[in-house]
Amino acid sequence: MAFNPAFKDGARAGLRAFMPVSVGVVPWAIVTGIAMRSIGMDEMQSLGMSLLVYAATAQLGALPLIASGAPLWLIFVTGMVLNLRFVIFSAAVAPALHAQSLARRIIGGFLLTDTAFAILGQKLAEAHDPVWRWGYYIVPSLYGWVLWQSGVLVGVFGAGFFPRDWSLEFMGTIALLIMVVPMVRSRPMLVAALVGGCGALLLRGMPLRLGLFAAILLGIAAGFAAEHWHSKRANT
Amino acid sequence: MIEGVWLWAAFVLLALTTLVTRGSFIVIGERGRLPAVVLRALRYAPAAALAALIVPDLLLVQGSVAPFNSKLLAGLAVIAVALKWRNPWLPFLTGMGVLWTARWGGLA
Repeated sequence: MAFNPAFKDGARAGLRAFMPVSVGVVPWAIVTGIAMRSIGMDEMQSLGMSLLVYAATAQLGALPLIASGAPLWLIFVTGMVLNLRFVIFSAAVAPALHAQSLARRIIGGFLLTDTAFAILGQKLAEAHDPVWRWGYYIVPSLYGWVLWQSGVLVGVFGAGFFPRDWSLEFMGTIALLIMVVPMVRSRPMLVAALVGGCGALLLRGMPLRLGLFAAILLGIAAGFAAEHWHSKRANT
Repeated sequence: MIEGVWLWAAFVLLALTTLVTRGSFIVIGERGRLPAVVLRALRYAPAAALAALIVPDLLLVQGSVAPFNSKLLAGLAVIAVALKWRNPWLPFLTGMGVLWTARWGGLA
């Protein structure tokens, strides 16, 4: 891999954008590590799961199924549903990585997280230089991977030492809030967020957390509709 | 609990779900280019997805809607701070501070 100036420049810009919000990843990782140990998995199994799966929602969602000895197909289906939102993110990021080799696209795809997409998505779609885009995407994503696995390591080996009533997992929610606030400065974005948020709340009764996926689709549709309505009104 | 080889089989299946969903359009590449209108609509995906993860967490206490709770109070404080200042650490300090204070004060 040639570290040419455009790659380094992109990497620097990506890390600068990613760094502050990435703090919220650590408590989540620690909590995930603790959760895996708490259902009776040993250290090796917990670390193995994290290295292979690398998806907090799917990992946490699968734990009750693993604990209760559910059939493998059900675990697979649950994982698919909990990861479904990434198909949308993948479609949005794909044009930015078109120029890369298949191996790089597979690695880049595996490393695509909520945080990376939320923080890096917009600039990825706007930037013209494919080398700059690759640096801007892959370096923060690798940094996020290292951060996540380190947090899991702390959680897995320190499971007995963290008091539960500190609610450290709330730092994950704070990180999500910090990401969403600057996004919703335009009217259609605010509509998308409100519909997505309220939708998830109202549809939470759907099986396998499908409500989360449905709410995201509703939010996208509402934002898009608001944009059209907004521009139509501006034109008349 | 699922044991031994079957546990690792479950991990591999879950790893597949990560790879298949996240990889989907990125791996397909050039051949899977979406229409411009879909890509424009997808600009709303991050805001919708983030809000869909946040709102239930702020409003639900043990599975039912509780409009007055410490997480919502802390969340509102985080939004206020994030709107006013650009400091990246301040929201974390404020949010956790408000959460612990509200809990200590007896709020659910």
